[in-house]
Amino acid sequence: MDKKMSIMVVDDEEIVRESLFHWFKKYGHVVETASSGFEALEKLETYPFQLLFVDIKMPGMDGIELLEKVKTEYPDTIVVIITAYGSIESAVKAMRIGATDYLLKPFKPDQLSLVMERISVQERLVSQYNYLKERLGKITRFDNIIGHSPEIEKVFSLIPEVAQSDASILLVGETGTGKELVAKAIHAESRRSHLPFIAINCGAMPESLLESELFGHQKGVFTGATRARKGFLEVVSGGTLFLDEIGEISPKMQINLLRVLEEREITSIGSREPVEVDFRLISATCKNLEKAVAAGTFREDFYYRVNVIMIEIPPLRKRKDDIPLLVEHFLKKYRQETTKHVDYVTRDAMELLRRYDWPGNVRELENAIERAVVLSKSRTLGVEDLSFIRPPDLQFSKTLSLREMEKVYIQQILEENNWNVTQSAEVLEINRVTLHKMMKRYRLERPEG
Amino acid sequence: MTSKKKSVGVVPLGDVPEITLQVIADHITGCFKLTTQILPPFEPPDDALDERQLQYNAGIIIEAMEAMHFANHDKVIGVLNKDLFIPIFTHVFGEARQGGQCGLVSLFRLEKNPDGSTPPKSIIHERAAKVALHELGHLLDLLHCEHRKCLMHFSGGIDEVDEISLDLCEYCSIYLQDKLR
Repeated sequence: MDKKMSIMVVDDEEIVRESLFHWFKKYGHVVETASSGFEALEKLETYPFQLLFVDIKMPGMDGIELLEKVKTEYPDTIVVIITAYGSIESAVKAMRIGATDYLLKPFKPDQLSLVMERISVQERLVSQYNYLKERLGKITRFDNIIGHSPEIEKVFSLIPEVAQSDASILLVGETGTGKELVAKAIHAESRRSHLPFIAINCGAMPESLLESELFGHQKGVFTGATRARKGFLEVVSGGTLFLDEIGEISPKMQINLLRVLEEREITSIGSREPVEVDFRLISATCKNLEKAVAAGTFREDFYYRVNVIMIEIPPLRKRKDDIPLLVEHFLKKYRQETTKHVDYVTRDAMELLRRYDWPGNVRELENAIERAVVLSKSRTLGVEDLSFIRPPDLQFSKTLSLREMEKVYIQQILEENNWNVTQSAEVLEINRVTLHKMMKRYRLERPEG
Repeated sequence: MTSKKKSVGVVPLGDVPEITLQVIADHITGCFKLTTQILPPFEPPDDALDERQLQYNAGIIIEAMEAMHFANHDKVIGVLNKDLFIPIFTHVFGEARQGGQCGLVSLFRLEKNPDGSTPPKSIIHERAAKVALHELGHLLDLLHCEHRKCLMHFSGGIDEVDEISLDLCEYCSIYLQDKLR
């Protein structure tokens, strides 16, 4: 095998560790040894070993227990079990749990070479599979929009359909749900994909500036207009214009844009010559525009112009099944950006991420993972790395019953007090026995680890 | 910076035919361009014999050799006629630690063909020279090589020892030149 691997030999016998250490060194592999399962797990926390050779019989934590823990925390790590003739049944059990191979000791040197050869082939296939899976994912999942929940699948299925027409699209969704990504995906799927995609945040600029940005202006029409400038409606020429926070634009600008959409021509500020324009409009809002229409702050005719097709982008709390996939995606992204070896999230931490409601949606989740990766000192993100997340805050949601709310509140207080029953009971102003009863009733237990 | 030519000692451990030692020394000089010297024999340490396996533990012999401080030689190859093993492996033809001072060659399994027949002496000498050069390669920090014919390719069986050549592949040759510079 030509690929150099990072290998850890885990055996309580020093002589065995030494033999394998020197053997693997002859192939140029990065080799480390551990005399117990505990030491191996400690070393795995700080370095992502690809391959573990584990003796099945060790005092304290045996090879099977270590294998189980490794496969839970680091499922990509390859484990080869070393076993004596008498413990062949354990080897079979190990293979069921997820060991890649096993060696009966003592073994011939070429048997070890054969195992390494097989692992090398497997590694190559896995790496090719991951590459192709990623490529395929990018092709079918519109790069960067991550998810497999029914809610996001619905959006995925709409994108290629709506991309084919020129009808105006209104994307509705909370802040941070990825409306611009969906707009880009629609543009990328459309016949206009080779032409510009221009995004403007209407809420971020005053009316006069927005007008100038969209329509352009002639030289000298206002202070600071030292030269003529084309507006984005002209610059986009044939491409897609994405107007974010369309609910924020003024009634005057609504009329101007309505006219452009109807007549397909613009007149820049200070000019009398109309110019033909061709673009596809995608707008986005986090507001309820129907209510704004009813309240008279948003023009009804303009609303129907921009809302020929409406796509609702679900908030993250309604597609929590996508959280693990999103976390994996952001871990990978920030692993590459920061070159820190953070590969995994513990079960408890993932549970914490799933419980939180993410009012800032995917953007907030991304920021949380970035912050945790940057500050993490090990290769696994645990609950302590996410201590800045404060779930579950009291959820005065209509969907919670009084009993459910009581459970959520008690759990929150217990977590805040590190599951110390005495302290929590004091905060709740009940006695310890009552709290114990309530914990039993609601099956509230301190998470392991 | 001037380079000092490395010298290699060839030492018999127990009763080893002189012609075999001479063949090994000549191949080291011829192939690696290193000066060699055949050293006086000594017996492998008693505790190297594993009485259950009736084999000699290569690691223990190498440690005993390193304790002898061969001050006049940069590298030393020990040659013996005993069956060698390293813990966890059933047997080895030779053994050396990466970048170490002392390595070993066992003639025990080189004197039989895979089918049990006895090969001519010339074949046995060629095998001994290959194993000695391979282990010396490890002492000079060369790694196992992918190239099937390269001297540094790992040989698990005697047929594979016969398959490799006495030469290093292009890459290992360059690496060796760098190491000897």
